[in-house]
Amino acid sequence: MRRMLCGLAAVAIAGTLAAPREAVSKVRVVATLATLGAVAREVGGDRVTVDVMASPGEDPHYVDPRPNLILLLSRADALIVNGLELEIGWLPPLQAQSRNARVQVGGPGYLDVSAFVQRLDVPTAPVDRSQGDVHPNGNPHFLFDAGSIGRVVRAVADLLGRNDPEGAASYSARAASLAERLDRASMEAVAKVAALPAASRRVVSYHRSFPYLYRWLGLEEVATIEPRPGIPPDPSHVSRVLATMKATGARVIVQEEFYPRSTSQTLARLTGATLVIVPGGVDAGRGETLVDYVQQVAGGVIHAMSH
Amino acid sequence: MRRTLSWTLAALALAAGGAARAQEAPGPTPEEQAALLQALQQDSAPAGATAPRPATAPAAVPSPLPAVVQSATAGFSLDMSFILDIVGAYFSETPLNTGGHDPTRTGFGFQGLELAIQSSVDPYLRFVGTIVMSPFGLEIEEAYGQTLSLPWGLQVRAGQMLTRFGRINPTHPHTWSFVDQPLVVGKFLGSEGSRGLGLELSWLAPLPWYVEVVGSMTDAAGECCARSFLGGRDLGIEGIDDFLYTLAIKQFFPFGRNWSLMWGLSGQFGPNSSGQGNRTEIYATDLYLRYRPVGSPERVHLSLTLEGMYRVRQVPDDSLRDWGGYAQLAWQFLKRWETGARYEYVSGLDGDPLDPDWTDGRHRVSAQLTFYPSHFSRMRLQGTCDLPRWRENPIWGAMLNLELAVGAHGAHAY
Repeated sequence: MRRMLCGLAAVAIAGTLAAPREAVSKVRVVATLATLGAVAREVGGDRVTVDVMASPGEDPHYVDPRPNLILLLSRADALIVNGLELEIGWLPPLQAQSRNARVQVGGPGYLDVSAFVQRLDVPTAPVDRSQGDVHPNGNPHFLFDAGSIGRVVRAVADLLGRNDPEGAASYSARAASLAERLDRASMEAVAKVAALPAASRRVVSYHRSFPYLYRWLGLEEVATIEPRPGIPPDPSHVSRVLATMKATGARVIVQEEFYPRSTSQTLARLTGATLVIVPGGVDAGRGETLVDYVQQVAGGVIHAMSH
Repeated sequence: MRRTLSWTLAALALAAGGAARAQEAPGPTPEEQAALLQALQQDSAPAGATAPRPATAPAAVPSPLPAVVQSATAGFSLDMSFILDIVGAYFSETPLNTGGHDPTRTGFGFQGLELAIQSSVDPYLRFVGTIVMSPFGLEIEEAYGQTLSLPWGLQVRAGQMLTRFGRINPTHPHTWSFVDQPLVVGKFLGSEGSRGLGLELSWLAPLPWYVEVVGSMTDAAGECCARSFLGGRDLGIEGIDDFLYTLAIKQFFPFGRNWSLMWGLSGQFGPNSSGQGNRTEIYATDLYLRYRPVGSPERVHLSLTLEGMYRVRQVPDDSLRDWGGYAQLAWQFLKRWETGARYEYVSGLDGDPLDPDWTDGRHRVSAQLTFYPSHFSRMRLQGTCDLPRWRENPIWGAMLNLELAVGAHGAHAY
């Protein structure tokens, strides 16, 4: 026992000596999703460092709660989350184990951006799990919508300003410029859709991930390949989807990269539709910016509609 | 004396808070800090001590319940869930299972109905409670408070809790990959694993990789939960040596986005029931290697768990040494399907006062296939071949488990 205690003491001392010292005083931001990380990076500029918990190609409902994420949270000044229970399956235990009061719900560094968007799919009657993975406070996938991202940009500027008052002016200037660029990209996409025939605006989704995207572009979702959110498709439902696609003339299927593709590809082949894979988030590793991303998301769908 | 202590702690916490966030704004000077501390002290002193009570103070009507309790029913989020586990089993002979929730005979069995409750108490504390109901009554598996905001990477848990000894012990049966508990856990720690009432302090080391150091002090008694220590023979507490101490170091190494490894070293130290100041020590190491390709549409993952324990017990005129462990592989190969295999070995001793029949080594091999209709339900078929060397025949077993989870259940740790 005594030897074990000595070992522990040695680790403790080594730990204290090796503690990383922050050379420049930057605000350490952790974002759950890649798009939120991109917002923080573009609004924060040189005054912040940003770490993202889920990679852009990862299903945000299912992220492995790896202990290195606890370490990130323990050292964070701010935590930006999507909210509406998107991260409920993995984030809460990481926050609890982070030992960092700033990033707990309600802490000074905690920001749930869903509070700033106009929510869709908010159930009007009580829900239960026979309806699948319904989110009781509304659909959480608003980061596919340029308008919602614009609102998030302003909320993040406020968060950073509160945590680093000296940079507040810089954050709000950068946020205003970014929101304007997003707005312009958004309007360009809307104009492109308006130029297409009304019949081409009917689409099918794999998961109910895109109500915000469709609201933005003025599209109509006629079916989802999942019978209920989070429940994998079964043959009878898929044949109904096929019939709906034939009846409505929907020629576009939209899904995220982390969902299985065979069913969508088969439906596309049988109906002559195009399958569009929407990237789950901004890929900062490839140097992608938020504006690039919203252009890519809208552009992919519009390109498929024009065929 | 107690006041002085609490204000010293407050001062330390204030200093730590200042140090940790020094980059945001210049921290308070010692004078400013002293002035703040004095003001805080005055504010928290009893009303009569600093200022005379105003003569016209309205008579306070004592509330029958604290405000927090009154409002708890009015839309406050309280994660509450029920998890039901039932099993149908066949055994070729009476099984020698060691786990408290393991099937024990051919026929239907009730493994447990768990009520799990989690919530924040206030900005400083979180509450976790796990109550297991069985035909024999209610059992408080865990009920503890956990701090959320201590400085220097420290965290305290206080209450009834599973000790963080090894990998599987701090987890609940519905997170396991097999229907039954590893033999070594039941034999060395107890049918319910190692748990007790007490205090735990853990520290997240400020290192570039994840290193957590855990130390806890719990009751050493309980046949179900500290059987290698005082077990069912509670000798009472006479000194600080009469508690059960658990120490552990947990380290995590990510290898890219897809592979990761967790490594733990644990030790337990406490008195045992043979009296005369005799003690027991258990040492353990555990490895958890996980492969999970990020972005896999089928959410494929593969994990290998290895856990080994070595136990030394002082008994009158002797010292008993034995060991055991298991290796298990779990593979989720499709979104709704998982399979797994486990091999276990636990040694045996002649004249073991706790397990007099377990005189020789024991191997057990298990394989399982699981279907998940959703993340809230599961059906698991498991086959087992148990080879206790002191028995003539192997014990064959087949189990079919059904698990249902309803309500809001807190997410699980890695």
